[in-house]
Amino acid sequence: MHLDAAAFSQILNRALGAGEYADAFYERRLARTFRLQEGKIHEAGVSLVCGVGIRTISGERAGYAYTDDLSLETLLRTARVSALIARDGAARVDSVELLGEAAEAPPMYETGTQDAGAESATYVDLLARADVAARASDPRIRTVNAFVSDETQEVVIATSEGLFVRDRRPLVALGVQCVAQGSVRGNGFQGDGGRAGIDFFATRTPEEIAREAARIAGVNCEAREAPAGEFEVVVGAGSGGVLLHEAVGHGLEGDFNRHGTSLYSGRVGERVASELVSIYDDGNLPGERGSLAVDDEGTPGQHKVLVERGVLRGYMQDRLNAGLMGVTSTGSGRRQSFRVLPQPRMCNTYMPPGESTYDEIVGSVKKGIFAASFAGGQVEISKGDFVFMLAEGYLIEDGKLTTPIRGASLTGNGPEIMNRVTMVGNDARLAGRYYTCGKGGQYVPVGVGMPTVKLSRVTVGGSAVA
Amino acid sequence: MPEPLELAEFAVAEALAAGASQAEATCTIAERFGAEARGPRIEKLEQSTGRALSVRVFVGGAKASLGTSDLTREGLRACVRQVVDAARFVADDPHAGLPDSAAAADADDGLQIYAEDVARRAAEDKLEDALSLEADVRAYDARIVNSSGAHVGDTLARIALANSLGFRGTYRASSAHRSVGPIAQDGANKRVAGYGSAARGYAALESTQSVATTAAARAVGMCGARKPQTMRCPVIFERDVAAHVLSDIFSALNAANVAAGNSFLADKLGQTVGSPLATLIDDGRLPGGLGTSPFDAEGVPTRRTVVLEAGTLRTFLYDTYNGRRLGAASTGNASGGGIGPNNFFLEPGSDSLEELIAATRRGVLIYDTIGFSTESVTGTYSRGARGFAIENGERAYPIDEFTIAGNLLEMLAGIDRVAGDLVFDSSIASPSFRVAEMTVSGS
Repeated sequence: MHLDAAAFSQILNRALGAGEYADAFYERRLARTFRLQEGKIHEAGVSLVCGVGIRTISGERAGYAYTDDLSLETLLRTARVSALIARDGAARVDSVELLGEAAEAPPMYETGTQDAGAESATYVDLLARADVAARASDPRIRTVNAFVSDETQEVVIATSEGLFVRDRRPLVALGVQCVAQGSVRGNGFQGDGGRAGIDFFATRTPEEIAREAARIAGVNCEAREAPAGEFEVVVGAGSGGVLLHEAVGHGLEGDFNRHGTSLYSGRVGERVASELVSIYDDGNLPGERGSLAVDDEGTPGQHKVLVERGVLRGYMQDRLNAGLMGVTSTGSGRRQSFRVLPQPRMCNTYMPPGESTYDEIVGSVKKGIFAASFAGGQVEISKGDFVFMLAEGYLIEDGKLTTPIRGASLTGNGPEIMNRVTMVGNDARLAGRYYTCGKGGQYVPVGVGMPTVKLSRVTVGGSAVA
Repeated sequence: MPEPLELAEFAVAEALAAGASQAEATCTIAERFGAEARGPRIEKLEQSTGRALSVRVFVGGAKASLGTSDLTREGLRACVRQVVDAARFVADDPHAGLPDSAAAADADDGLQIYAEDVARRAAEDKLEDALSLEADVRAYDARIVNSSGAHVGDTLARIALANSLGFRGTYRASSAHRSVGPIAQDGANKRVAGYGSAARGYAALESTQSVATTAAARAVGMCGARKPQTMRCPVIFERDVAAHVLSDIFSALNAANVAAGNSFLADKLGQTVGSPLATLIDDGRLPGGLGTSPFDAEGVPTRRTVVLEAGTLRTFLYDTYNGRRLGAASTGNASGGGIGPNNFFLEPGSDSLEELIAATRRGVLIYDTIGFSTESVTGTYSRGARGFAIENGERAYPIDEFTIAGNLLEMLAGIDRVAGDLVFDSSIASPSFRVAEMTVSGS
């Protein structure tokens, strides 16, 4: 990387123009992927994203421009375009002067200082092991698809306030999808990984991941159509955290709250959930998928208390929205790449453990649904309506899990559902590390987690009407 | 700065030099403009030129792909070598490879995918559009007190494709869009709605006034919404959300999913799977279409393909590789390393949406869904939805916090009314249609 303190200083001075703040984000992200299909390595991929994004802030306005041409001439021209937003402002006299080398961000990642650079044979071997393990674990498995990816993102962030920091972020993922043939065809997916090097899979083995995917496919290939209507629902530990992410987390992002478009706007200090509910977001969990030593604006990752015993404690902030709301950034400024502006985003969102046991919770339900894991979800921010798709689910009858169900989604309203939390388990854990969150067309890796939780009433959107 | 075709040719030559037996490269250089207004203020202004190169290399029947934004010669050479090396670890696949021969690159005459007014329109006018959208939604009704922003933007792109069979093709394309997301205050609730227009150029866009009115009417219309009863009833999909249903159906028609056993239509070729009103077309040559191009991502000329003809499944949509696997020719649907729609749409009928509603004694009208399908194998469909309850042929009251569920195959067969309101504002577009019966899960 040839961009030094002097080059960044020139870029920032040009970008600042008549604005009050400017920053430059350099990124070089190299990713390698291998895909397995029908027992063979089907495809390999290399991806390199490299460029600089330049931003100028003037009050509530943000100007932005990026370039993948790293010549100083083009960078300065890009900086001038970014500054256009602030052309009405007063001219500045002070100038930015960065000195020395960019500071290294604090250590936050398990290993993986290698540049996505293991031997190709290493990746190929992991996939072959996953394939063999999935097929061996259940004769009904018809199809196994698997992928492994290994990326290293190197960023340098320089700001007009003199921040000059670099971070090197590893990210690995291995996912296995199985289709099993029973009375119907059933799908099963499992993935894991995190901010670590490819050695991650020496301890969390591809065999374990593959067997779990095969097990879910095996359950789903004998699943019945889900019922429709309102039920008591028990959400399983781990991936149930998707519920927190969608039903509450997005509504606590600073941009929605600065604009007053979130249903949680202006409600810090108010009761927003059952007092059994606490929700944290943490950028500092070593090795987790959503962790960041510094965010994409250079702010260190933090542990944030969002909801404490049902009371709203705070929002997740990036620099722009924090500044306009008179608070400080919580290290939540994230961006998909240098091509887009940062937004306030979640890192690893989870609920700490409660006091009930799993057996007590499931045993308390006479007729209901057990949502073992979610394939994903979506929320509408302003009113809080959400939907979650089940990846694995069961009927609960007389306190016991019985028939597996398929094709179910849960729908409802975030704050309503959080007030219907009537039991929280002591078995809190983070989900398998493969979740990616989309917002405004930008996708970033996140973590979610939760203990087993009972919800007194949720609409289940199956097709079987009782 | 080198021309896109020059960069694509360089990448192909480098791949062959590194040991690839075949190679293909696509270079895109795009100028993008985007702005967001909130109330009386422009809050975001973005202008950039982005470049991207995607390369596919084959070492015999082993395939690997590269995407990079480092277009320096040294950078490109290093990446190409790395991807050729990775290809050596891929299994030999007899179907992998470039198309059988290089088609003559079609001139894009008549396709109307580059509108001169995109380059001509002044930035000030575009910003004024964004401010008008914000002003107009707020002026529509006193309950509209906020917005998730008005967005305007456009793109001018130059695309070039070269491959080692000698194919050379270039074309220019443009697009423009405007949208707004008003929020109506409804007691303690906020009702958000969104509506937008997109086209190849500004002349074909819906006016800001019309976009604002539709968006505002939707937000205000949702005030007082309640949960419907759980029931089986007819469901009318308004055209935006109808297009989302079509995109789920497209996944099942994607030959890659068919070949992988990941489609509920996999064994249905030649069979009648839809109602007589279900005619689905993919047209890569529709003049002015947002999915129109002279050739696809492999340099195969685009065409018009009737996929479902009055309910009968005539073909899947193929790229070269999946065509070879399944014994069919490419339909010109190669896209971004896989298979994608060109302009994929349901053939419109002649009724208006209002006539569909009037013909429905008791049912629901859906104009928005959330969630996504994960059950491509079985076609199971379940979505969170918002819309209106229909009683005695009229919109009775707004409804939300419910799901609609069914099976895509049954939905195709259940299409019993199709409106004439098709607008090609996306590469997947649909007129509004009605499905005879689905499950609504509410209270």
